[in-house]
Amino acid sequence: MSDTVIEIPSRPNIITSLVRRIPPLRKWKFGLVLSVSYIVVLTFLAVFANVLPFVRRYNVLPKGAEARRLASYRGKPSSEYWFGNDKLGRDTFARSVYAAQKTLTIGLASIVAALVIGGLLGMLAGYYRGWYDRVLSVIFDVLLAFPAIVLALIVVGRFFQGGRLNLGVFEMDKRFFGVIVVLTLLSIAPLARIVRAQTLSLSQREYVLAARGLGASSWRILVREILPNLLPAMFSVAFTGLAVLLVAEGGLAFLGFSVQLPFPTWGFMINEARSDLTKGGGWAVFFPCVLLFLTVLAFNVIGDRVARRFDIREATL
Amino acid sequence: MRYFAQRFLQLVVVFLIVTFVTMVAIQAASKDPARDLAGPLNSTEARVEEIRKHYHLDRAYPIRYAYWLKNLVTVDLGNSPTLGASVRTLVGQRAPITLLLGLYSIVLALAISLPVAVYAAYRRDGPFDRFISGATFAAVSLPNIILAVLLGYFFATRWRIFPYAASKIWPWDNPGEHFKNVALPTVTLAVGLVAIFVRLLRSDLVNTLQSDFIVMARAKGLSPARILWRHALRSSLFSLMTSVALQFGGILGGAVVAEQIFALPGMGLLLFQAVQQKDLLVVQACAALFALAVVIINFAVDMLYAVVDPRIRHARALG
Repeated sequence: MSDTVIEIPSRPNIITSLVRRIPPLRKWKFGLVLSVSYIVVLTFLAVFANVLPFVRRYNVLPKGAEARRLASYRGKPSSEYWFGNDKLGRDTFARSVYAAQKTLTIGLASIVAALVIGGLLGMLAGYYRGWYDRVLSVIFDVLLAFPAIVLALIVVGRFFQGGRLNLGVFEMDKRFFGVIVVLTLLSIAPLARIVRAQTLSLSQREYVLAARGLGASSWRILVREILPNLLPAMFSVAFTGLAVLLVAEGGLAFLGFSVQLPFPTWGFMINEARSDLTKGGGWAVFFPCVLLFLTVLAFNVIGDRVARRFDIREATL
Repeated sequence: MRYFAQRFLQLVVVFLIVTFVTMVAIQAASKDPARDLAGPLNSTEARVEEIRKHYHLDRAYPIRYAYWLKNLVTVDLGNSPTLGASVRTLVGQRAPITLLLGLYSIVLALAISLPVAVYAAYRRDGPFDRFISGATFAAVSLPNIILAVLLGYFFATRWRIFPYAASKIWPWDNPGEHFKNVALPTVTLAVGLVAIFVRLLRSDLVNTLQSDFIVMARAKGLSPARILWRHALRSSLFSLMTSVALQFGGILGGAVVAEQIFALPGMGLLLFQAVQQKDLLVVQACAALFALAVVIINFAVDMLYAVVDPRIRHARALG
């Protein structure tokens, strides 16, 4: 009898198994390349806004001769003020970049929080079904039936009114945190429903039955068998959801429930300058609008591409 | 039948939870609800105490809620101190405007998206289809605040085609002025809807057009128009109908921004003003109405599914 060694393949961890599952990108689509590079540039600007030399003049009000000279600009873009300036003479480009920092942080933090919470609840509802499902479904329905503006009033208007929030490790503006909480609460239910539906169908698959037959615990099945198969859909939803949240933040800013100065978001800037549209303030509205639109578009393009690559149809918000 | 009962029970529970949470949260958010309800002007101590007694604000939340529910049933939800009218009158005046706004935008969106989607699916991957695919993608990504600001600037401020600060004119009083007033908010809401509907219907139609009965219809020699509009469209309408219902619920809740920018006095604007002026009873009533609309529409969609597809009602009743 020959010495056969039965090689037991070691289980790859979740990340490598996911990476292996990504089909190779045969053709980089033009739109995708454009979107990714736009997002990369924007993120770079936002992250390094404090140190980049050309975004200095943030929130600087011009004085004396400078102010008189700016009055003749009437807010038009120039080699010095790339995006022009608003009625107070502030540099729209610098403000837009700082607003990108705030807007992207708000969107990213809310979508990550919503994916973690909604994903967990959705998995529990879809896997255990029965009473878990019933109770969680009622919670999701309640969240969906809650008018967003009432939620914003309660959360931002009361609990995170003003001042600083100290969470021990890090400190941040209270209202800023409140906006993140509102957007997270708004997006938990739709995300959880997508995850629930996917988990429901995944938990009927043969490999899950096999794992259960081999005596795997529920948590092991959820984490090792179901979660890796959910990740592509969640990944795609993360981008589309981010786009939706950026729009939602703009709406909140319009109603006065978003961040406060000196930290504008794009929605805030649009709302701030729209009353001056007739007084030559067009550029101060135009550039935040363009940035907001392009960013939402870019995230939608990326989300759409990811969804097509993994052949996901359910992952639309 | 058990499925219907289950869903209905869930509807009631959801409605009760939403209204209860709204009440507790906004009353707890106020420093003294009785003082807010007495209004900024006539807030003598005696008056505040009278209000406190009248609305049972000295009792525990569950009891207050029970009284509120009783008032809801008898449609007597108290008075708004800031707007000087009863909540019932206010809601009665404002709700039809938002309903009409939602209705108009859905009708407009359907009128545009049906022919566009049918033609795009018919000439799949042709130039028109590609253009529409790109255009709808852009329209989905266009935030409604940007659209509203642009429409407002060009059509109201600059060219003065439509009025900006819309006033409330009923369609039966003066149809021309009425439609002028609601035109911009309607378009604001409809653009996103068109994009959603076109994408949904087009992809469903493309699937349907590949099925056997279409080949059969074509073999029989039916005209393309007849195949598209009678055979293919009818069997592709199901998910569109679902989407229409859900979007209608979304509009009722999401009309706040459109109504606020164009100053259209509907429910959204009422809720917004009430929130700003701490008009607690109006906020509660509006929230309850929005929640009721969303919950009923969800219920109707579920029932529609269950009636059409028996697998759903059995699967869910078992699960």
